[in-house]
Amino acid sequence: MTLVFEPKANRPAPTNTVGFVGWLRQNLFKDIPNTLMTILGLYLTITVVGWVLNWALFNAVWDASSRRECLDLVGRSGACWPGVVEWLPNMIYGLYPKDQVWRINLGFLALIVWLVPLWMGGVKSKVAIGLSVVAFYPFLASYFFLGGDKGPIWTALVALGLWGLVWVWSTALCERRTGLSIGTWLAQRFADADNDIAQKRVRQAAALLLFVVCVGLVSQWSLSEVRTQFWGGLFLTLVISGIGITFSLPAGILLALGRRSDMPAIAMLSTLFIELFRSVPLITILFMFNTMLPLFMPAGTEVNQLLRAIVAVCLFAAAYMAEIVRGGLQAIPKGQYEAASALGLGFWQTTTQVVMPQALKIMIPTIVGNFIGLFKDTTLVSIIGLFDLMNMARAVGEDSDWLGLFIEPFFVVSLIYFVFCFAMSSYSIGLERKLSAGRDR
Amino acid sequence: MSGNNKARKVIEINGLNKWFGQFHVLKDINLTVREREIYVVCGPSGSGKSTLIRCINQLEHHQEGDILVDGVEVEKGGKNQTLIRRKTGMVFQQFNLFPHLTVLENCTLTPTLGLQTPKKDAEELAMKHLNRVGIADQALKYPLQLSGGQQQRVAIARSLCTQPKIMLFDEPTSALDPEMIKEVLDVMIELAEDGMTMICVTHEMGFARQVADKVVFMDQGEIVESNTPAEFFADPRFDRTQQFLAHIL
Repeated sequence: MTLVFEPKANRPAPTNTVGFVGWLRQNLFKDIPNTLMTILGLYLTITVVGWVLNWALFNAVWDASSRRECLDLVGRSGACWPGVVEWLPNMIYGLYPKDQVWRINLGFLALIVWLVPLWMGGVKSKVAIGLSVVAFYPFLASYFFLGGDKGPIWTALVALGLWGLVWVWSTALCERRTGLSIGTWLAQRFADADNDIAQKRVRQAAALLLFVVCVGLVSQWSLSEVRTQFWGGLFLTLVISGIGITFSLPAGILLALGRRSDMPAIAMLSTLFIELFRSVPLITILFMFNTMLPLFMPAGTEVNQLLRAIVAVCLFAAAYMAEIVRGGLQAIPKGQYEAASALGLGFWQTTTQVVMPQALKIMIPTIVGNFIGLFKDTTLVSIIGLFDLMNMARAVGEDSDWLGLFIEPFFVVSLIYFVFCFAMSSYSIGLERKLSAGRDR
Repeated sequence: MSGNNKARKVIEINGLNKWFGQFHVLKDINLTVREREIYVVCGPSGSGKSTLIRCINQLEHHQEGDILVDGVEVEKGGKNQTLIRRKTGMVFQQFNLFPHLTVLENCTLTPTLGLQTPKKDAEELAMKHLNRVGIADQALKYPLQLSGGQQQRVAIARSLCTQPKIMLFDEPTSALDPEMIKEVLDVMIELAEDGMTMICVTHEMGFARQVADKVVFMDQGEIVESNTPAEFFADPRFDRTQQFLAHIL
C-alpha cells in the first residue's frame, strides 16, 4: 500500500516571542545584565537630554544686548541666544546685501520648484527632468546670485535656464493629463500623425518660440552685481557643496569607467588623476589652488577665489566618487557583462542600461555617505578665507558685543548640519527601499 | 532533422586553436553545423566544451583557425563581434538575467536598444517568445522572484527575441534543482522540433538521445569523436569515450 504524504499545518509562533512585549523581552529585558544596561542607558539619556534642554531652553537668555548681560543674568548655566539671533542672517546669507537677499531665496525656491515634478505621480520623463536640473538650472541660479551686466551670450544662457524650468513644468503637467510629453503633444496637435518631418518642425518651432520669449523676459531683468566676496554662510556652503555633489557623480562615473578601460592611455590618465587627488588632503588641494594656481596662470588673468575653491572641491570629490563607483562596478558579476555581450549590446549600451543601474543601486549608501562627507568637508574652505557657515559662526564670538560667544553659534551650526545630513541620509534609505521593492528576494 | 547535406552551413569551424596564456585549450577543432541540426557537446570538465561555443559568439577570442557563422567569417580580435553575436543566441548556466529589469524588459532590451525595433513591436515579439516558453503570465515580475527553472526559460526567450540563426546552450540545466531540469529540457526539445539550429553543451544524455543529430565528445581540448546518438551510445569507438559514458550513465 502507498502511504499518502500530508504536510503539517502551520502553527502561530509562541506569543511571548512576537509583538511589542515579545520585542521588549527579547531586546531590553532578556536577562539581568541586559536589564541593567537598559536602565543605565535610559538614565544616561534622560540626564543628557535634560542637561541640554535646561541649557538651551529653560535657563537660556533670549533678550540681551551683549554677552556681558547674559553672563550677569544666568552665568554659564544657560545659553545666550540674542547674539546668535543677531548674527543669524549673516550665518545664512553671509555679507550679501540685505535688500538683495530675496535673490538667494528665489534661486533656491527655483531649485525646489524645478525638483517637485520628480516626486509627482504620472510623470514619465523623470530622467530628462533630473538631467535638466544639472544642465540648465546653474545658469538661472548663477544669474540670480551674481547679477551684474549680461552680454548677449550670458542673456542667452540665463534664458536657457528659464526655458528649462518652463519645459520641466509644462511637460510634467502635460504628462499627468495626457501621458505625452509637451513636445509630442504639441507635435500631434499641430502636425499630421504620420508626417515625421512636420512633427519635428513643430517641436523645434515650439522650443524656439519659448526660447525667444525667455530671452525677451530675461533681457528685461536687471539685477545689481553682488561679487562673490560678499557670499557667505549657509548660502556659500550650499553653493560649494551643491556644485561639488552634482559634478562629482558624473565625473566619478567617467573616471571609474576610464580606469577600467581597455585603452591603456585612458586607463593610465584616469588612475593617475584618481590617485593624485586621493592621496592629498583636501586642505592641501585648496591651498594649492588658492595660492599656487595663480602663479602658473598668465599674468593679468584673475580667477575668482570662490571659483578656485569650487574647482578644487569638485576634483577632489570626483576622485573619491570614482573609487566608489569602481567598487560598485566590481560587484557586478561577470555573467552580466557576458549576457549583455552575447545579446549583441555594445559597451555604452551595456554600461548605461545593464551595469551602471545595478552598480549605482548597490552603492547608494556609500555614494550618499560621500555626499554627506563632502557637504561637511566644505567647512575647510574657511582655511583660505571664505566665510562659509562654520567660519561665520566663529565670527560671532569675535564681535565685540558677543566676545567669546562660541558654544551657542556652533550649537546652531551643528543643528543645521544635522538637519541637512539627516535629510540626505533618510532620502537615501527611502530611495534604496523604493529601488529594491520587488526586485530582491 | 537528420543529416541533410544540402542544408546551409550555419557554423563552420576549421582548424580552430585557442590558448589561455600558455595553456592550449582548443586543439585543431573542426566542426560543421547545418541548418536545423542539433549538436550535443559533452566531455569532462576542463575539456574545452564551453570555450568552444564561447569562441563561436566571440565571448572568447581565438588565435588560429577560421570560424564562419551563417557564412560570415569571424574576424580575429573581435572586430565584427557585434554582427556575429546578433546571429547567435546564448543561454548560460547561471541564467545571467538582468535583475534590475522585469522579465519583459529583459526580453525587449536588445531589440529596442540594439536593433532599433519600436517598443510596441518588441513587446509583442517578447510576449510571443515568453508564451512559447510558457512564462507569459510572469512577464511583469523581476527575475529574482522566479524559480531557477523559470529564470532559465526567460533566458531562452530573451535570446530568441534577437532572432538568432543558432542557439548556443552552455550547460543550461547544471545549476538547476532536479525537479526543474525537465521544464527547461522540454522547452529545448520543443525548440529543436521547431527547427532551431542548436549547439548544446550538456550532460543530459536523455536529451541527446531524443533530439540530437550528432553527439560530440571532447577531452583535453580535442574532439575525440562525433557520431549520431544511436551509434555514440551503443558503440563508442574510443576507450576514453567508453570511460566517460561509464561514469555518467
